[in-house]
Amino acid sequence: MVGVGGEYKPDFEGANRSMLSPVPIFSMRRAGSTEQFRGPRDSASIAVIDFGDLRAGPAGKFVSSRKASSYSELNGLGDVKTTVELGGFVEYYPVDWFRTRGELRQGIGGHHGVVADLSADVIVPVIQRLTLSAGPRFTWESTKATSPYFGIDAVQAMATGLPAFDAKGGAHSVGAGAQVSYRINPQWEVHAYVEYERLLGDAAKSPLVTLRGSPNQTTVGIGASYAFDIKIR
Amino acid sequence: MCRSIRCVRFATVVLIAVSVSACAAFETRETKLQAVKTVGIISAVGDEITFAKGGLTGLNNRSQSYPIASWGLDDLIVQQATTALNGRFQVQQVSYNRAAFTAIKDSPVAPVNLVRSDPFKKLIQTEVSPQGLDAYIVITKAKSSFGGGARKVEGIGFITYGTVMESYHQVHALYEIRVFDGKTFDVIEKMAAPPLDDEGQVRIAGPTRMIDESFATSVGNPAENEKLRAAIADLVARSLSTTLSDMHLADVR
Repeated sequence: MVGVGGEYKPDFEGANRSMLSPVPIFSMRRAGSTEQFRGPRDSASIAVIDFGDLRAGPAGKFVSSRKASSYSELNGLGDVKTTVELGGFVEYYPVDWFRTRGELRQGIGGHHGVVADLSADVIVPVIQRLTLSAGPRFTWESTKATSPYFGIDAVQAMATGLPAFDAKGGAHSVGAGAQVSYRINPQWEVHAYVEYERLLGDAAKSPLVTLRGSPNQTTVGIGASYAFDIKIR
Repeated sequence: MCRSIRCVRFATVVLIAVSVSACAAFETRETKLQAVKTVGIISAVGDEITFAKGGLTGLNNRSQSYPIASWGLDDLIVQQATTALNGRFQVQQVSYNRAAFTAIKDSPVAPVNLVRSDPFKKLIQTEVSPQGLDAYIVITKAKSSFGGGARKVEGIGFITYGTVMESYHQVHALYEIRVFDGKTFDVIEKMAAPPLDDEGQVRIAGPTRMIDESFATSVGNPAENEKLRAAIADLVARSLSTTLSDMHLADVR
């Protein structure tokens, strides 16, 4: 499946300004299999264990680098390199219209911490082609995952004028998301979503957020995708 | 300059190697099929029908299965396949332990399925008679998730999919066809029956068609529901010829 979308999201995590950016849509599945529900915050994943209502497998997420020179709020803070987070996911459907999902990922690159995402979605088919879904979100991060983005050392404090801050890990954010998707025909589908999260713990207490940003983080996205078969004999 | 020429040469060699190996794989399959004269057909699809609910359901949405061996769907499949293949192959009647073929299930752990050899390979050697045909065509149940959820359905079934506005009813016949070499018992070709052009509202990876509520179980024992039997027999008949044609085993479209 290929497609394109647009996402209006904070400039960086903790920012109070947002920016619209294009988002490519690409996914592959086994020939003949049907597409399954996917939440906007889900990492790329493959179910290697699949009992139908219980699925598990590896998951990975790409986190863009954060360049201090890109935004005035970050001037004086160090760059944070691109991070690849690798780990696994488990999702469970107690009934067809309710999905719970957990992910645990280890960062490599920009941060070396551990990130855990928990989410639940009520999935409501309004008509066969139109599906609404919504549910709560929660993220926990270790100190090594939080510190590179929200910690301010003595040198950075001197350069930015912000007070030094030792960011520890813990509950990172809580929020909610909603998505609507409409299948025009077996090939074409359009979707829109909104995800809100409220930063918690040291991420919310960081001077970068309290003095120059916001703990309220909202992402809005739209997209269209086209599904097709490639037969490899 | 010299380096870029080397890179182009290397890329060309890789491209040719990939193309040649792809052609070789295709030729192997085609060559093996061309050598096949006698075939036996085994069908283990139609022992039961499963009634499943998806979409907006109550808290108890367990599937229910009912025996439908009396419908003779497997005999119908063998008969239809024999008619379709007779032009190209000499189809011979074979006897087999249908229950043994029905009992084979994929592991929910995907790597296990990749690592282990095809479970039907051993069954053909031990449960099918006569041995020594050029190839054996084995038709067994396939699985699919449906409606965007995680639940799966298999083989012959009836789905009720609930939405806020209305409910949909569909029947499905999910099966896959393997062609085994009669000497080595390796799989020459394998394909799951694809959806038909007039597929139903609920997305499912196989032959399916919309039906109305009058086909539902509330009217009695599904095995005695002639309307349901006819709908599924029609689905099997239409999809089987398409699938055999897609596999280049028969030109029946």
